[in-house]
Amino acid sequence: MASAETPKSRSGVAAWFGELDRLLRGELTRSESLRGGGLGITPWRMAVLILALSASYGLCMGTFAAFQGRSTALMQVVASTVKVPLLFFLTLLVTFPSLYVFNALVGSRLEPGAVGRLLIAALGVMTAVQASLGPITAFFSLSTTSYPFMLLLNVAVFAVSGFLGLSFLLQTLHRLDAQPPAPPPRPVAPDPPPEPLIDPLSEPLADPLSEPLLGPLDRFGARPITPRVQTVFRIWMVVFSLVGAQMGWVLRPFVGNPNLPFSWFRERQHNFFVGVLEALGRLLSN
Amino acid sequence: MSAVVGLLRLADGVLRGEPARLRPRDGWTQAELARVLLVFGMLYGSVMGCHGGLGGDRGLQVLYSAIKLPFMLGATFGIALPSFFVINTLFGLRSEFPRVIQALLAAQAGLTVVLASLAPLTLFVYISGVGYSAAIVFNGLMFAAASASAQILLRREYTPLILQNPRHASMLRIWLCIYVFVGIQMGWIMRPFVGDPDIPVQFFREGSFTNAYVSVWRIVLDALGFQGRK
Repeated sequence: MASAETPKSRSGVAAWFGELDRLLRGELTRSESLRGGGLGITPWRMAVLILALSASYGLCMGTFAAFQGRSTALMQVVASTVKVPLLFFLTLLVTFPSLYVFNALVGSRLEPGAVGRLLIAALGVMTAVQASLGPITAFFSLSTTSYPFMLLLNVAVFAVSGFLGLSFLLQTLHRLDAQPPAPPPRPVAPDPPPEPLIDPLSEPLADPLSEPLLGPLDRFGARPITPRVQTVFRIWMVVFSLVGAQMGWVLRPFVGNPNLPFSWFRERQHNFFVGVLEALGRLLSN
Repeated sequence: MSAVVGLLRLADGVLRGEPARLRPRDGWTQAELARVLLVFGMLYGSVMGCHGGLGGDRGLQVLYSAIKLPFMLGATFGIALPSFFVINTLFGLRSEFPRVIQALLAAQAGLTVVLASLAPLTLFVYISGVGYSAAIVFNGLMFAAASASAQILLRREYTPLILQNPRHASMLRIWLCIYVFVGIQMGWIMRPFVGDPDIPVQFFREGSFTNAYVSVWRIVLDALGFQGRK
């Protein structure tokens, strides 16, 4: 298995995916990794990966229109490929400021950079899960003509990837919050024993997190997160999901209704939930 | 001849699950398992397709079904695997994933070996002169028996993994959900396997690229007396 020095020896695209891989495996969210200064990801690299992964899923979504054989199919494929990354980044843009402000308000120790890295990492996990479900979406796009079915399948894929991404966010937050605060400046003459460098309270935490089998979604129960910070993040997760769902509705069409002419955006009407219920009704009344 | 004996020994090992107790390197290679899946899958597929006999272009149905059966299993596996890989990684089971793939492949290979062992029965039923609908139902029964056997194989292959980490039990359920969800649709679009004797032989049935779930739902609605929209 990949050792700690393997990722450093990689270069180019392999190194980029190596970082995402270590995130998915939980290597970057272990206590010893987080102790070294928060979540060790390169945000811009992760952002580019999110772009690529979500665009690849957008491509899979757009294949439904491509297989309908209409002259505007290519436009729909391009639109879906562009709009899925846009959906994620715009949702983040809309929800990040309020998260940071409320997070600071309740006295969390997380700096804006750390919150940003955490959210980018969660989006990385979310889009990785989504892209891995892409082949299933593309297969059904190829082999089905039912538009409501494709719509609901895509909603399910977004829901599963969103759930796993946000679970990652919450568990990583627990781990970040459990880290001891930065050690005070060392006196001129250092103390002889090296032990005080580590907060004794964190000692019991090191064991479960250094377990090789512990994944990034494992519950971290040694020391609970500050309840108020947890509440803020939980509320934010709900807000993120709602904004994401509605953003998807605003940016529609992603799949492309075969009975309607191609358009980059549909006119504003209803909301996401009414749309999903209507699709479910159409599917069941077929 | 030695290749055939080797393959039969391999199939026997898959059924008995012998290398499961060893390390993956000492067990079957993925290529070996794929070979079992291909050969035994083609064997049952060809038997499945000979309902209409071998005369005229009916021989083509035998060839088509022989190609389609292993392809159906392999394609379903390939489409379901990426998401299963990411989910396993997220739940901290990445280091055991090579063994997971081996378990899944062994179960698939086992499924085709069981199917192939049922091929003489299918052939006998065909020769005894059953109609097209009865042939479909009989093949459905054979697949059900083989799937149940593959379940036993899969659980046996997964037992050491579950003992090592109980989370594998949940992963196994997730795998079955993804695999069945994709597999049903894959089987639906790959029709016909038996081949209706009243319809000319074709690789894919005309208009078969529809949705299995929507079609079944329509049939249910029709059966309940609701007017379905076509």
